[in-house]
Amino acid sequence: MTIHTVVNGRPHDLDVAPHALLLDVLRDTLDLKGAKRSCDTQVCGACTVLVDGLAVSACTYLAVEADGRSVLTVEGLAEGESLHPLQRAFVEAGAVQCGFCTAGMLLTAKAMLSEHDRPTRADVLHYLRGSLCRCTGYRKIVDAVLAAAETRS
Amino acid sequence: MSARPLRVVGHPVPRVDAIEKVTGRARYVTDLTVPGMAHAKVLRSPYAHARVTRVDVTRARARPGVFAALAGADLTWCDPYYGPAYRDRPVLAIEVARYEGEPVAAVAAVDEATAEEALELVDVDYEPLAAAMTLEEALAPGAPLVHAGQPPAGHFADLATLRPRPGTNVCHQFQFARGDAAAALAGADVVVEDVYRFPPVQHVALEPHAVVAAWDETGALTLWASTQNPYSVRVELAKMFDVPLARIRVVVPHLGGGFGSKTYAKLEPLAATLARAAGRPVRLAASIPEAFQTVRRCASRVAARAGFRRDGTLVAVECEADYDVGAYADIGPRVVQKGTYTATGPYRVPHVKLDARAVYTNTTPGGAFRGFGVPQLAWALESLFDTAADRLGRDPVDLRRQNFLAHGEEFAPGDTPIDGKLEESLGRAAEAIGWMQAPAAGRGRGVAAMLKASVAPSVSEAIVRLHADGSVTVLASAVEMGQGTRTVLAQIAAEVLSVPLARVTVVQPDTAVTPYDQTTSSSRSTAMTGRAVQVAAEDVRDQLLAIAARHLGVAARELALAEGAVVAPARRLTYAEALALNFGMTGGELIGRGVIAPGRTAAPLGGSTPFWEMAVGAAEVSVDEETGAIRVERYVSVADVGRAINPLLLEGQDEGGVVQGLGHTLLEEMLYADGHLLNGTLLTYRVPRADDAPEDLECRFVENADGSGPFGAKGAGEGSLIPVSPAVANALARLTGVRLRDLPLSPERVWRALRARSPRA
Amino acid sequence: MLRPFTLHRPETADEACALLARLGEDSAAYAGGTELLLMMKLGLLRPRHLVDVKRIRGFGEIGLESHLGPRGPSPATAGGANSEGTRLTIGAAVTHRAVERSALVGARCPLVGSVARHVANVRVRNVGTVGGNLAFADPHSDLATLFLTLAASVELVSPRGRRELPLADFVRGPWETARASDELLAAVRLTPWAGDTAAAYVKFGVHERPTLAVAAALRLDGPVGAGRRGGDRIVDARVAVGCVGPKPERAAAAEACLRGASVADLEDAARAASDIAAAGVDPADDLYGSADYKREMVAVFVRRALGIAAARARGVAPATRFPHAVVA
Repeated sequence: MTIHTVVNGRPHDLDVAPHALLLDVLRDTLDLKGAKRSCDTQVCGACTVLVDGLAVSACTYLAVEADGRSVLTVEGLAEGESLHPLQRAFVEAGAVQCGFCTAGMLLTAKAMLSEHDRPTRADVLHYLRGSLCRCTGYRKIVDAVLAAAETRS
Repeated sequence: MSARPLRVVGHPVPRVDAIEKVTGRARYVTDLTVPGMAHAKVLRSPYAHARVTRVDVTRARARPGVFAALAGADLTWCDPYYGPAYRDRPVLAIEVARYEGEPVAAVAAVDEATAEEALELVDVDYEPLAAAMTLEEALAPGAPLVHAGQPPAGHFADLATLRPRPGTNVCHQFQFARGDAAAALAGADVVVEDVYRFPPVQHVALEPHAVVAAWDETGALTLWASTQNPYSVRVELAKMFDVPLARIRVVVPHLGGGFGSKTYAKLEPLAATLARAAGRPVRLAASIPEAFQTVRRCASRVAARAGFRRDGTLVAVECEADYDVGAYADIGPRVVQKGTYTATGPYRVPHVKLDARAVYTNTTPGGAFRGFGVPQLAWALESLFDTAADRLGRDPVDLRRQNFLAHGEEFAPGDTPIDGKLEESLGRAAEAIGWMQAPAAGRGRGVAAMLKASVAPSVSEAIVRLHADGSVTVLASAVEMGQGTRTVLAQIAAEVLSVPLARVTVVQPDTAVTPYDQTTSSSRSTAMTGRAVQVAAEDVRDQLLAIAARHLGVAARELALAEGAVVAPARRLTYAEALALNFGMTGGELIGRGVIAPGRTAAPLGGSTPFWEMAVGAAEVSVDEETGAIRVERYVSVADVGRAINPLLLEGQDEGGVVQGLGHTLLEEMLYADGHLLNGTLLTYRVPRADDAPEDLECRFVENADGSGPFGAKGAGEGSLIPVSPAVANALARLTGVRLRDLPLSPERVWRALRARSPRA
Repeated sequence: MLRPFTLHRPETADEACALLARLGEDSAAYAGGTELLLMMKLGLLRPRHLVDVKRIRGFGEIGLESHLGPRGPSPATAGGANSEGTRLTIGAAVTHRAVERSALVGARCPLVGSVARHVANVRVRNVGTVGGNLAFADPHSDLATLFLTLAASVELVSPRGRRELPLADFVRGPWETARASDELLAAVRLTPWAGDTAAAYVKFGVHERPTLAVAAALRLDGPVGAGRRGGDRIVDARVAVGCVGPKPERAAAAEACLRGASVADLEDAARAASDIAAAGVDPADDLYGSADYKREMVAVFVRRALGIAAARARGVAPATRFPHAVVA
């Protein structure tokens, strides 16, 4: 099936099998390796990308569903060399350790910020329920998200 | 050296790999593509214990797109066994499958889908055997034997003295005694004793194990592997394939978490074997459920007794510790030995008797996991300490303080003297949690302390290169798995050589390029690899000073390095200038070498730890008495780290350690029933989420620059995890009067205990 | 890893049903895929045809009584008082996220929107659908339990026509429904509570999916909530318990003993009702816990849900901070 999709602002016409998962198309066809396969069951959030601004688990999402939609991966978060405020906050707050969850955390936080002008800690925790990190203990991630929200407002 | 202020070391600089990680550019093994690469899938035993009477891969091999299909019996062209303690683990099951999930056959094909389909064409006949699933079952008279006969020793130097008990499932017994514990206990005023259990838990590194293996046209093997021990993997493969070490190259990109799960060879032998059979590179990427079938923490049952004098002096400790090491020993025997050796924790105990057994069962092999056997014993001893405090009518903080080993005191005769001040950690933790003030209604507080040795003897080597433009390359084989070692090593080199951090590049571990490093585990990288980098950088520094002295006609002792230049009282020579003068052209570099190899000692384990990792945890909890659900409201961790090379990263390590510790304390347990693992996926195995982390979590450090590592640093990162379970359980006991001995402190377990205390009217 | 399949994208329910009828067991209806694709990846299901129902007209809509035409009031006017008997229809392909954000749901069945906000995680909510959730009959589903208190029924379409079935009859057991293989779940219909109703939904558990869930709704003899005090006597009560047994169930006997009680003094009645509810469940020992623990937790959380609903009825802020519990 041919799909037309915009990935990180760039249009693509892609020929994908109906059973192709968005995660594999992003990683293998478009060489966007930022989204990771981990739990493969929509629990951990390592494969999170935004489709029309909404967070989805790319590991359990058919690529054909991206037809006519725009996809944002972590590679599309910065504008050129200028990091997104969330990325900057993650760097400065020490919210990154092994980095395997980082893309998912950033994109989930971005989706959250698009809905909350002034998010509370509870808002952040609510959104991050489905994003696992085994390294940081979460504290610096939550702090980074709140700091980025602060910078923006 | 002058005591000038540190410019880079000690500062909370962001990690050097942060940008690549937040932009998605950091590469992990599964992100790599090698031309011609085939994809592997593994067929695993559905039985906990079964005779494998037939494996027929003919149909799988004939399937279009399949390059290789292997069963254990096919592996006649290599030594199919590996393992660091015992070489007891076959690459693919040979005649017997010893746990559910053991690899029985494997396929390499043009893509993962073809490989997976080909697995369905593998015909296997199993004859189920009686299985020993628990310590009790494995130790019972007449228990099914997981292994028959004695397996050959592995390559781990410390384990030359492995003592299996033939005819039983005990694959190693470790005994240690000092004084006369029995007599001391008989004479003690108060003796406390109990049996404590620690469940099997999995690391759940978000990146499951992954390898790409490629044999080249000359017969050399290259692997890109998610391993914490590239050099250990190299040894295993050299033995298996009878290839010189120099012909095996192990490259380690970023790791998506390790926590011990990626120590020693895991999937590398299978990937290398398949690549050889397929005649092309092979990628083998495990899933999370397969990680549950690869390694886990050794579960334990610890019977501990401690005797005190009425004045609170601890006089004796006795422990019988049985660890469930699963179907293959992996590094389990050393986990058992090393964990048990420090069973007495950071306390002065004149009379000690320790008896530990590593026990095979028909479950996922147990191996290293953050804490390396110590959490299991600290769970027992630190819980007992509070029981003793109650019996003695003493404050638990006070009783611990009274019995701490003092700075400079030998842990055991011939072993490393205590290099920290635990009373300072305890004092700060107690103060931060408000120990002297009563907690709010419905809250209880508890403390626990820990002491852990690092692996010894061990070796770390490093090379530091100063280039013609004054930039620096650090070659070292400490693996970056999230803990920040690449940043810390860069900071150390930048500090010694007086260059900005951005001028230092730390090369990813590659056994063909970066020098020997024993292992990235045991909290050793900062202290050992970091020290090697420091020495190598100092070697470069000394060469620079000599060059400058020669060209400036000034004595080297009057020179110093500052801001990328050698500075004399009246002159300044940039590194570029110094190198140009030295080589008579632009080109050429200075190479520094650092080797840290303390060697064997007379200490009981054959080596003396380079530092003691010491920490204290303090928890404040509440409990929903109707459901048994515990909430950790506040947690304070204080670690004695000597010096925090990077306080930001160290704080992150300890915060992560606390929350990981809360996982096995409150939530995690691999549950088996009828020979099957019930919860080997993240849908059913619950690790801590963001909302499980205490909102009030403080991680602090004691810094007295008294460590043997660079700038007085010691290792850190495991210390914060180990006190969590007993601190929480002690808090629960003080709040409710209920003492729990089995982890995790799940709501149901707590609820049962509360109900047993006060039956519902 | 997914096995290859053919993806069909019918635009009408008739077309979809014809496909399901023709392809039979080899096919599966597909909407969000959060359950279906998961089961397919795990190898538990292997359909060779997926029939995407998201393009069927009306399947993605929320409306009053019939979702097939936009006859309901516009969201702007939806805040008015409920007209008795007007049912809320949620199309099978409506995502949890759309339910959470729907003004119509917020006005007619506000608790449904609040519960939708806590289904699984944000990614599942963005993609997963109400229809998929009900059709899979996962015993740990949030929605089915809540919907039982809203007199829910499901609309099934097939080449043989349409039929409406009470949700209680539709869900037969774990992963088992009354849906025939050529039938398609088109929508769920909810009967909003009367205006004098206060309610609560509580789920509890440490795993990814809840160990137990309780929905409780109390209809009073007068207005409820802050500033509208007047109702005190319970004239009708609905209690449903999910996740602990093979399927979610209403606790009719517990409901009965709540009628006539005062929300200002509910403790005894709530305790009695929760004990009855606990006695009525059929839990099993599994990795979520032992049967006796789950039974006891039913008692605890039915009581707590009733307490929260009663507090809401009285316009008092209830205590909702329970570890490992989510209160909606």
